[in-house]
Amino acid sequence: MASRKEGTGSTATSSSSTTGGAGKGKGKGGSGDSAVKQVQIDGLVIIKHYQEEGQGTEVVQGVLLGLVVEDRLEITNCFPFPQHTEDDADFDEVQYQMEMMRSLRHVNIDHLHVGWYQSTYYGSFVTRALLDSQFSYQHAIEESVVLIYDPIKTAQGSLSLKAYRLTPKLMEVCKEKDFSPEALKKANITFEYMFEEVPIVIKNSHLINVLMWELEKKSAVADKHELLSLASSNHLGKNLQLLMDRVDEMSQDIVKYNTYMRNTSKQQQQKHQYQQRRQQENMQRQSRGEPPLPEEDLSKLFKPPQPPARMDSLLIAGQINTYCQNIKEFTAQNLGKLFMAQALQEYNN
Amino acid sequence: MSRFFTTGSDSESESSLSGEELVTKPVGGNYGKQPLLLSEDEEDTKRVVRSAKDKRFEELTNLIRTIRNAMKIRDVTKCLEEFELLGKAYGKAKSIVDKEGVPRFYIRILADLEDYLNELWEDKEGKKKMNKNNAKALSTLRQKIRKYNRDFESHITSYKQNPEQSADEDAEKNEEDSEGSSDEDEDEDGVSAATFLKKKSEAPSGESRKFLKKMDDEDEDSEDSEDDEDWDTGSTSSDSDSEEEEGKQTALASRFLKKAPTTDEDKKAAEKKREDKAKKKHDRKSKRLDEEEEDNEGGEWERVRGGVPLVKEKPKMFAKGTEITHAVVIKKLNEILQARGKKGTDRAAQIELLQLLVQIAAENNLGEGVIVKIKFNIIASLYDYNPNLATYMKPEMWGKCLDCINELMDILFANPNIFVGENILEESENLHNADQPLRVRGCILTLVERMDEEFTKIMQNTDPHSQEYVEHLKDEAQVCAIIERVQRYLEEKGTTEEVCRIYLLRILHTYYKFDYKAHQRQLTPPEGSSKSEQDQAENEGEDSAVLMERLCKYIYAKDRTDRIRTCAILCHIYHHALHSRWYQARDLMLMSHLQDNIQHADPPVQILYNRTMVQLGICAFRQGLTKDAHNALLDIQSSGRAKELLGQGLLLRSLQERNQEQEKVERRRQVPFHLHINLELLECVYLVSAMLLEIPYMAAHESDARRRMISKQFHHQLRVGERQPLLGPPESMREHVVAASKAMKMGDWKTCHSFIINEKMNGKVWDLFPEADKVRTMLVRKIQEESLRTYLFTYSSVYDSISMETLSDMFELDLPTVHSIISKMIINEELMASLDQPTQTVVMHRTEPTAQQNLALQLAEKLGSLVENNERVFDHKQGTYGGYFRGECFRLLSSPGFWYPHSLSPGTPSTSFPSLSCRPEGRLPQKRGLHAPRWLPPAAISNGLLSSPLCLTPRLSNLEVLSHTSGIKSLFKVVMVDCLLPQRCVESIHLLIIFLSFYPHDRHKARMQR
Repeated sequence: MASRKEGTGSTATSSSSTTGGAGKGKGKGGSGDSAVKQVQIDGLVIIKHYQEEGQGTEVVQGVLLGLVVEDRLEITNCFPFPQHTEDDADFDEVQYQMEMMRSLRHVNIDHLHVGWYQSTYYGSFVTRALLDSQFSYQHAIEESVVLIYDPIKTAQGSLSLKAYRLTPKLMEVCKEKDFSPEALKKANITFEYMFEEVPIVIKNSHLINVLMWELEKKSAVADKHELLSLASSNHLGKNLQLLMDRVDEMSQDIVKYNTYMRNTSKQQQQKHQYQQRRQQENMQRQSRGEPPLPEEDLSKLFKPPQPPARMDSLLIAGQINTYCQNIKEFTAQNLGKLFMAQALQEYNN
Repeated sequence: MSRFFTTGSDSESESSLSGEELVTKPVGGNYGKQPLLLSEDEEDTKRVVRSAKDKRFEELTNLIRTIRNAMKIRDVTKCLEEFELLGKAYGKAKSIVDKEGVPRFYIRILADLEDYLNELWEDKEGKKKMNKNNAKALSTLRQKIRKYNRDFESHITSYKQNPEQSADEDAEKNEEDSEGSSDEDEDEDGVSAATFLKKKSEAPSGESRKFLKKMDDEDEDSEDSEDDEDWDTGSTSSDSDSEEEEGKQTALASRFLKKAPTTDEDKKAAEKKREDKAKKKHDRKSKRLDEEEEDNEGGEWERVRGGVPLVKEKPKMFAKGTEITHAVVIKKLNEILQARGKKGTDRAAQIELLQLLVQIAAENNLGEGVIVKIKFNIIASLYDYNPNLATYMKPEMWGKCLDCINELMDILFANPNIFVGENILEESENLHNADQPLRVRGCILTLVERMDEEFTKIMQNTDPHSQEYVEHLKDEAQVCAIIERVQRYLEEKGTTEEVCRIYLLRILHTYYKFDYKAHQRQLTPPEGSSKSEQDQAENEGEDSAVLMERLCKYIYAKDRTDRIRTCAILCHIYHHALHSRWYQARDLMLMSHLQDNIQHADPPVQILYNRTMVQLGICAFRQGLTKDAHNALLDIQSSGRAKELLGQGLLLRSLQERNQEQEKVERRRQVPFHLHINLELLECVYLVSAMLLEIPYMAAHESDARRRMISKQFHHQLRVGERQPLLGPPESMREHVVAASKAMKMGDWKTCHSFIINEKMNGKVWDLFPEADKVRTMLVRKIQEESLRTYLFTYSSVYDSISMETLSDMFELDLPTVHSIISKMIINEELMASLDQPTQTVVMHRTEPTAQQNLALQLAEKLGSLVENNERVFDHKQGTYGGYFRGECFRLLSSPGFWYPHSLSPGTPSTSFPSLSCRPEGRLPQKRGLHAPRWLPPAAISNGLLSSPLCLTPRLSNLEVLSHTSGIKSLFKVVMVDCLLPQRCVESIHLLIIFLSFYPHDRHKARMQR
């Protein structure tokens, strides 16, 4: 399996979906100011990642090592974080990382920390946790990326590997830690401009490429045809279910926001009324020749309601977006397959 | 055991208290007496305690001495300090004090200190002179001691009553302080013979008790019963002690009897004491022997007294030679009765006396009136025998009671001229004047009701799994017989009200019994009419059904109290249900409207109601009416407290919530075991009927988001079953049902059948029904039918058509049944299919949405609400409700031209386009629209679809579905600006819907390819 995957990746540029994504990322980000324009991954990294993935159903995380060359980030190695269990809660991750990196340095392997990776199922990676950790990475090491790998999609026949960075806008917002509606508005940020995708190039040494070709020849035809499987219900169902959950969350969030808005406006009204009454009274007093009433602190009288943080809804929207993309891709591909199958059938008849 | 202990200690403290009050010279009395008794006990066994006691008491006395000194020099601060220390020391000595009683000197110092402080407090001038510290200490100390003394109030008052003694003791104290208290005790023993004797006269009961207690301690349980008896006599004797004061005539003799030995005994004891004192240092063993002897004697002395009334009363009843007349006997009777209910009356003796009186009356031919009167009283005092409501009659008492009632009834039946009534006044009674009808006060009905209660109590308190219970249950026949007799009697003489009450009693003893005879008769229809008639004659008349009918109808017609009627109705329903007369039972239940107002009834009636409902449910189940069964049982089962609701046991977990009192009340409400409804049967019936309802329902609504559960309990069981990590063959009833449900889900009726009906389940549940086989055949049939339905729901999507014959083979149902079931499903629109008559096949329409389509529908619905919410946010921003949009912007967006530049149907006017308002009523197409796969023109498929899926949109835009989604889409586009919503979502749904419309094809193809 591993070999075949690399086979697909062994052509200098990665699979079509990745390049498509890359194009979009470029277009959307439109960010000349971003430090990294391209990510070049060594095949080794993918294999390593893939291997640890095979072990369980838990989400796998780890550290990417490599270096930056001009505007290209070269990832040459990686190591995983150990899986957490409840009994070793006092495990020191930082310590572990440092030691790991030191050890790697001893054997003369690239030891510069350039980001981290994480696996995901059905593309459900747009979460608060990811945002926070990527922010801290990017804050500390400017050019770090997060590599997202989807084992399920990969098992269906197309390598799904994507590199993401936070956009500079989002970085600013996160730095200020102000997620109020106003701040987000000012920052002009929407779910589409939260992450930028960095195009990935997979690079292998010539020796490996040769091996690939050999393996390609040897592998049976049936091995390659997972791509053509017509079964779709499971994946689609799962995706829909997930999408539905997020939509529910979104709905709730909107309701929350709605109540907030209503409360604010109600208060505004009250405030206004109060002010008017005050004014009238003052006018009367003036006409009677009395001194006007002293000014009171209105903000004390009317405490504005706490605005709900909008970051979550942004994230949910982002997540919905990813799901939608997934579904779209998936259905489009499957439609194609269906028509192909139909044509084949007709031809056979 | 414990009961005796507690009462023992109670009365002990009582006696010691009364001792204090009565004894005129109790100086060391209280203090001296108790250590005396105890030191005797201790000397041989626990010498260690003694020294500990000395130590503690010494500590106390030392402290007290310092306090006294401080008091003398008016150093209140010192007093306060010492007082606190004293309190602590007393706390340490607590264990000893508990045993010995509060030491006298301690009480004395408390009282003195309080007096002293009060004095100081009053003395205003003195207070002024005091320095600040002292004044402060004074107020604190005063408060403290007040609070502290509250605990010792009784002791202090008693001390204050004879303060002159304190001086005595004081002197004594000062002399003997160093010697320790034990010596002190013995010194005090020798105060004077007279005092001692007096003291002793109160003491013995206490002493004997001590002795008994000690016995118990030593050889624990072996002598339980003996002790009990001893104890009984002990208590009676002490009771009569107090009786003396009240001047009871009956006990007078016993008092003298008692006195004599007491004095003798005491004198002896006193002598011995003196001797003891003389040879103080004599070895202890001999002393102990002596004491033991003494104690034994004391015990004997007790026992003799117990027997006294029996032996002595007999001749004493009437002085010899007295002419026995009515007046004398009645006077005597009243005499005896006066003692009734008073504290300390020997109830057993009283019953004995009354029985004697009856004998005498009978011997002297005083007439039935008197005898009836006395009998009434005997029965009443039998009931009175147990003062406690919770305890039940002893078997011999109970037997006596039954006999007595029977005799009474005999007399009443034999002498129709006796009138009995509770409203006949004492004065207007006529007991002997034979010319006029005899009139006796008393109510036979109340007696019988009380008897019934007693019977219930006996049954409640007997272990239901013992032979004893069976023995007791045999009495039930007797009880019924008595009730019947009384019923006959009252039918002649009683008022309607009384008749109603006795009828109810009869009903309560009838309703829960399954009438096997009637059942048998029903089963063997009149083959040889003459013979069956004979049988019937033998079978002593009426069926219980007829009987119930008659009794209940009388009550319905005549009763004025609501309660009796309610009970009668419930019993009637229960009886109907028990005998499988479902429709009568149901109609009666519905007509009575009890369901509406039963919550206002008292708990026993509610329990009866619950029992009735359960029986009704079980009856419905036997008739094969699963739905009714489920509904009837739902309330009881869903609460999870069936046991409690049926009055068949208390739940452990609510033990904390109720206190002792409540528990007692609840315990009294419990239904005796022979009336119980088997809880496992109940649960099984419930679960099986839930299964028969729920499984097809689940299959039919597999992918319905808003599906409701029919039975939570059943689902709970299913979940529990799923959670099992390792699934073995089912053991319990529940596991069987769960396993059966799983089989049924697959439409596998044979497995389901084998899980529901097998050896284990038969033994556990089904054999409990009177007509077990009938129930089983019904059940099999039900399982077949519901499995068929489930099968069709689950697998209809796989079939294009299916022959009914195959189905009838599969489920072993005959063709008409299959036909009717399928027709019903089609009519109810549960199954999208039609019947092809000539070929006997079911042709599926294949219109049910697939799982994905269902999901998409759900999603669309959710999106609808999301859009709606979003719209609101937007409205808010705009300040106007949608006017802006609908007017300008949206029309632009939603016009076909805008969204569908390549639209194939450009002629569609914008007005016909669904408006923005994707509100619930106009929301997405209901099932029908979406799943028709054939609308996709083949041309469209071949027409460049592969290149870009998105360009499908225009071609399909004639679809209602898509127009709706486009509505959503436009909305998203609009709202997005502000609220960050993904329009891609809509896009992808769009695509998804197209994809899904292909989906059936997809499946076909996939199958064909394989």
